[in-house]
Amino acid sequence: MSEGNTIMSKHIARRIRPVLWAAGLLLVSSGVAAQTTPAGRLLASNCFQCHGTNGKGPGFETLAGRSSAEIYEKLVSFASGKEGQGLMARHAMGYTDAQMKSLAAWLATQK
Amino acid sequence: MNGGHKMERRLFLGMGSAWAASVLAGCGGGDTDAPGESEALGAGSGSMRALAASPTNPKARVIVIGGGMAGATFAKYMRLWGDTVEVTLIDRSSTYTSNIMSSMVLTGQRTLASLNYGYSTLVSKYGIKTVFGEVKSIDPVLARVTMASGAVLTADRIVLAPGVDFDSVTGLTDPLVMPHAWKAGAQTTALAKQLAAMPAGGTVVLTIPKAPYRCPPGPYERACLLADWLKVKKKGSKLIVLDANADILVEKDNFTSAFLGLHGSVIEYRNNVEIDHVDAATRTLYFTGGGSLRANVVNLIPRQRAGALVSAAGLANATEGRFAAVNVLDYSSTLAPKKVHVLGDASATTQPKAGHIANQEAKVCADALTRIFAGGSPDPAPVTNSACFSTITMKQASWLHSFFQYDPVTGAMKGVPAGSGASVGWNSDGFQDMGIWFKALLGDSFA
Repeated sequence: MSEGNTIMSKHIARRIRPVLWAAGLLLVSSGVAAQTTPAGRLLASNCFQCHGTNGKGPGFETLAGRSSAEIYEKLVSFASGKEGQGLMARHAMGYTDAQMKSLAAWLATQK
Repeated sequence: MNGGHKMERRLFLGMGSAWAASVLAGCGGGDTDAPGESEALGAGSGSMRALAASPTNPKARVIVIGGGMAGATFAKYMRLWGDTVEVTLIDRSSTYTSNIMSSMVLTGQRTLASLNYGYSTLVSKYGIKTVFGEVKSIDPVLARVTMASGAVLTADRIVLAPGVDFDSVTGLTDPLVMPHAWKAGAQTTALAKQLAAMPAGGTVVLTIPKAPYRCPPGPYERACLLADWLKVKKKGSKLIVLDANADILVEKDNFTSAFLGLHGSVIEYRNNVEIDHVDAATRTLYFTGGGSLRANVVNLIPRQRAGALVSAAGLANATEGRFAAVNVLDYSSTLAPKKVHVLGDASATTQPKAGHIANQEAKVCADALTRIFAGGSPDPAPVTNSACFSTITMKQASWLHSFFQYDPVTGAMKGVPAGSGASVGWNSDGFQDMGIWFKALLGDSFA
């Protein structure tokens, strides 16, 4: 990944975070159910089979403790094919951009 | 092919070299209960202490029948995500033996014991109640379970995850004579013994049933693995693969290449061959429409259907009455939508019958019930994925991945072409990744 792209992605992520926050608040205000089912958690659970429950291992790379931007950028990089045509690239290519942002935002809550 | 292997190796290694350090950390650190883990699991779900005990005043009660990949994962995540939901897991056995990796018991690379998983962590960490015994019947209207012992259990919801049962085969009174070894356990041991006792230069037959069956690449994978083993241990032997399907169903490039190239001297593949009946005494298979074959060892994998409880409850309403139709937003049975859910291999969906995706189906169901018990509705756009590795030799593996998004038009999980595909060839890195994947997947399901 070139530095330019990293900066660009970080820039995008910074702009997106407030949007995600707003979406989260909207969900919370719309009902009790949203409080018990954080946005992005079910999506992020697709990672757990290979990266451990809540991204905490055992497995491949540990995802917990990383920022939303880092996880999102890595997914974008995999989905673009820049990281090759391995299994993780295939996996990333399945998500929509909004889904990658959403699951990255939830994973970032796992410390 | 060599060039392809080389490239594939590079790609495997390139899977995030920047994260290489954390791969090692993830590998070494997670084997046992690390001090940080309880804290982690408690995050956002109340304290670990509360999670570890079954709730005294549950807001809802769920009974899960079947403690395999789907059932165990569901039980765990229902407790992890569902606030004060009581979860009771019923299985006839207190030990689950993983089907994943079990073909390597046949080649002596693994022991059956190494594939055993208990439920003690689900009990101690997540407060799941367990009942080990035979279920006699379930009442899908009253959500009531009657045990063979006479005990009766009731709940708000029943989740059925009984896996598959096998069709009986005419002439095969003792299934261990021609083992399927498609449900790890005594069947696996029986087949391993037969293979070990076979003389060099013998003939082994492996039959593949009509789809849908458990683990689509599994029989092709096993054929490759056995061929590799026969070359070393039983020189001059043949492996005849009789496929009831018209063609290799998945990962066609890799398996065709392996069957014709790498294992061409051992494997003979025949498509459209269905077993009509057998003569167990002479180990002879008779085909539908004529023809027969006699072998030293027969690995007969029969057609499959949902575990008997599903049809006994009248819920096997799809795939010619073999599997249960479900709503994939919450895996509820289409015939008992407010009471019974059917997960994993027993359900009829567009997704493969396999452990990795059964784990995800279980999470979708647990998330949906969490929302439903809180007065909401299931997530309207669930996503699932399936990943698996296939042993092409005793030391090398390929991979296969598929990805599904909910399609509101058809109400089905729809495969995403961009997210689905296989490795180009196979290599030892794939074999190593398989080990990491297996450990992670079983950890996510049972611990």
